[in-house]
Amino acid sequence: MSQDNEKYDAIVIGGGIAGQESALNLADSDQKVLLVEKDLSFGGKMIHLSKVFPTLDCSACITTPKMSETARHPNITICTYSEFTEIEKLPDGTFTGILTRHPRYVIEKDCTGCQDCEEVCPSVVEDQYQYGMVGRKAAYVPFSIANPRIAAIDIENCILCGACERACPADAIDFTQKTEKTRVNAGSVIVATGFRLFDPAVIRKYGLGKYKNVVTSMQMERQLVPTRPFNNVLRPKDAKVPDNIAYVLCVGSRDLTIGSPVCSQVCCMYSVKQGQLLMGALPMADVTVYYLHVRAFGKGFEEFYQQSRGMGVKYVKGKVGTIEEKENGDLILRYEDIRDGSVKEETHDLVVLSVGMLPNPEAGSLFAGNALELDEFGYVRQVDMLKNPASTSIEGVFVAGTASGPMDIPDSIASSGAAAAEALSYLKRKR
Amino acid sequence: MDEKIPTIKEMKKSRQVPDELKARVKEYGRIKKEILKALETKRGTIPEIAASTGLRQEVVTYTLMTMRKFHEIEVEGLDDMDEYYYYRKAEV
Repeated sequence: MSQDNEKYDAIVIGGGIAGQESALNLADSDQKVLLVEKDLSFGGKMIHLSKVFPTLDCSACITTPKMSETARHPNITICTYSEFTEIEKLPDGTFTGILTRHPRYVIEKDCTGCQDCEEVCPSVVEDQYQYGMVGRKAAYVPFSIANPRIAAIDIENCILCGACERACPADAIDFTQKTEKTRVNAGSVIVATGFRLFDPAVIRKYGLGKYKNVVTSMQMERQLVPTRPFNNVLRPKDAKVPDNIAYVLCVGSRDLTIGSPVCSQVCCMYSVKQGQLLMGALPMADVTVYYLHVRAFGKGFEEFYQQSRGMGVKYVKGKVGTIEEKENGDLILRYEDIRDGSVKEETHDLVVLSVGMLPNPEAGSLFAGNALELDEFGYVRQVDMLKNPASTSIEGVFVAGTASGPMDIPDSIASSGAAAAEALSYLKRKR
Repeated sequence: MDEKIPTIKEMKKSRQVPDELKARVKEYGRIKKEILKALETKRGTIPEIAASTGLRQEVVTYTLMTMRKFHEIEVEGLDDMDEYYYYRKAEV
């Protein structure tokens, strides 16, 4: 471990939209901030979305300028592919922890992001940024608008052929890189570790994984962006243009049988959004949403929902029991029509499971002795939700965004501003 | 200018490539070759390519779309029923 301690006013853990917002707020107030992101690029989940509801603004168009602002801010240091753990509070009210930088096997300052390494790499694995719908190379730039836009070697899937090293015009490949650990001290900590997406493969009756034309809402989200995995919205089994698409809502939300009783707050509206986008991308397609309740609770949400109905999206108040595949890849949905209690069947050629949010368990293990308390659902506990919503069980540690519970993007940004304000107040009090 | 010493040799001293990974890379290469062979003389939809190669449709979709991502395959319009796209080998 490096002997030199790095010192910052605040450490923000998580580089999604919440982490960036908190970091920018603090940095604009002349605080030195370390932003730690475990992935190869910061940007979180928002950078992978198509559009946002209810305005239908381009998600990347909102996120990328904020990412650039964060990356270029003189008061912000960003560590990607890194983790900050074993955090302890010191008697003077400051914090110390271990920053672990994982090796990319690429010299960051030398890589130009030309992707020559990617071109020659023979090893192909599922592209996690396209949710497994296409492959990526073991030597790869994570995605086109990644920040930093530099390559990495996925050593677990590398066959050590050395082709990337021979092809790199900048001599940036370095297989001698090792994991680096540094002790870092800071006056305050903001936890912005975000959420996990529910994996619907555990609900076997929906057939995800078994039936290729059952996809998750994030897979559909990727199909709707310009950098989509396919050349249009297509079925993953046979690349047919779908013309009768079903959405199943509340998959992994409000479901005690899988231990997830919380409403994810965003699934209804992102499904309404995707329905509208699909009507634009595939004008001849029918879109049917199977729902328990449509929770259009935010500003402009009800109008957005009514707009989708006006565009022709069909809403069926029904609980889907099973999904079965026909020989041609079409899917039979068996559902209870809640209006009359009858059991019905309907055939669709593509089914989208609107997956919910789950707490990110990493938040609980950041602190030595798991000192940061979680609530009954596994989110970071807000000790004073009404008066100081960003305060946690540790004074000086604040929570931003979906680390504290499901919320949409505007609420996440508002929460991050609150966390930054409370952190700033704590820093001023302690000086 | 001094020539850079390949660092891959250092990695090879401490790391072995699992046989499973080697087999997977080989299999991807084989499938890719089959698809390119099927598209050697004519364009094809994914069901057509799957039928001529004997590969499962989802395997053809995944591999062909990956090849398209790396500019090895090009898209050439929809069929008469507006159901399936035609694909062809990209011109070098």
